[in-house]
Amino acid sequence: MGALRVTLTGNSEAWIENYRGILEYTGERILLQAKTCQVCLEGTRLSIDYYTNEDMKISGNISALRYLRE
Amino acid sequence: MTEWVKRLQGYVKIRVWGFAPQRFINLCSNKGILLWNIEKQEDVYTMCIGLRSFYELRTIARKTKVRVVISERYGLPFFVPGMLRRKAFLAGLFLAVAFWLISSLFVWDIQVTGNYQVTDDVFYSFLEQEGIHTGMRRSELNIGELEKQIRRKFSQVTWTSGRLDGTRLVIEIKENDMSVPEVVQDAAGAGKDLVAECNGVITDMIVRCGVPKVSIGSEVAKGDILVEGRIPIYAEDGTVREYRPVTPDADIVLEHTGTFQAYLPADYIRKKYTGRQKTFYFIHFGDREWKPEKKMDFLQYDSVLEACPVKALEYLQIPCMVGRITYREYQKTEYYYTVSEAETVLQKKIMDFLETLDEKGVQIISKDVKIETKRAGWTAHGELLLREAAVSLVDSRAEDTGAEDLDRNED
Repeated sequence: MGALRVTLTGNSEAWIENYRGILEYTGERILLQAKTCQVCLEGTRLSIDYYTNEDMKISGNISALRYLRE
Repeated sequence: MTEWVKRLQGYVKIRVWGFAPQRFINLCSNKGILLWNIEKQEDVYTMCIGLRSFYELRTIARKTKVRVVISERYGLPFFVPGMLRRKAFLAGLFLAVAFWLISSLFVWDIQVTGNYQVTDDVFYSFLEQEGIHTGMRRSELNIGELEKQIRRKFSQVTWTSGRLDGTRLVIEIKENDMSVPEVVQDAAGAGKDLVAECNGVITDMIVRCGVPKVSIGSEVAKGDILVEGRIPIYAEDGTVREYRPVTPDADIVLEHTGTFQAYLPADYIRKKYTGRQKTFYFIHFGDREWKPEKKMDFLQYDSVLEACPVKALEYLQIPCMVGRITYREYQKTEYYYTVSEAETVLQKKIMDFLETLDEKGVQIISKDVKIETKRAGWTAHGELLLREAAVSLVDSRAEDTGAEDLDRNED
């Protein structure tokens, strides 16, 4: 399928799988490219705990998760 | 766990900035390079990367036109070269580990618990005889054999357990709380008698074994047989067939009078310290002793020695002792007891005597002790009414054989 998988724990942690790469990364916004869409996480003090080809973990104060159609 | 693996392999914290840092991160992940703790601080990205992966960053950095700078280094690969330069530290570390490893091969402490009847001194001297002492090799220790030897040597020990707790040998024992019954049958076959140790009156009597010859209220003299150790065995016709020799067992309380006498001379010599004293410190190691040589100009003096043995563990003593000697000058002065002082001293002597009797299990019924002046001194004398088990076992006096007794009986 290749669909993006996002797992959120409260508003402090997010595990993301099946992405293509990072398009934008600041402390307030992380924009990721998936196969069919883009995902935008917004918040404050966002940081990437680890980043591999398979999955990544984002932590910080997440306030919104938005899917952006191309 | 992963943190330890990362530290073992080594990792660096890098700062990345330039044309396309996001693409730099993506290319790293595409090449299977793990990045963690990625943070953005203004225009600079900081992240951690494994030491091996760091050497693969050159092409990625060139392609994405970013600059990569190491800000911090972590882990063993960075720690070891720095350590290798500190030779004294390394030697100390090596010696410490070697000492630790070698000393763990020996027994450094012996602990015995549960012994009440067998004193520590007796037990440790037994262990010493068995070749078990602090400083022996652990491999030479045969705990199973030691447990057997303990039970064999001490009959009152009913259970024993030994174990090695690190370098400490822990021996737990349990002793028999019940009194060991005496052997009733006399070994020689002649029997024994229970006789009075002094003149007195029997006030209490419980006979467990033997033939009682007196009863409660009987007046007895020193040496009288109280319980005979020859039990008559009667034949069917009521005659004595034979005598069975036994060791009598009885609780007999005798009431008798005892005397107390103490003398206190009127004068005595007491040390009067002048207040002048000298203190020396010393170190004692093995057979050698180091102390400052100083001349003693006191005419009469005594010394107080305070020494402290150096102990590494509870039972491991190093043959080293440190301490101090204080020499105190005094003059001999003659004093005379006042009436109250003499009375106090003699009362103390009386009380000590009574306490000694009490410790022996002697019951004091009454006491009549007087203190008076006599022969340029003081005396305390009087009579005590006592109750105690003043009996002892002696070999049977009967010149017996079963046949003789039988004949006598028939006559």
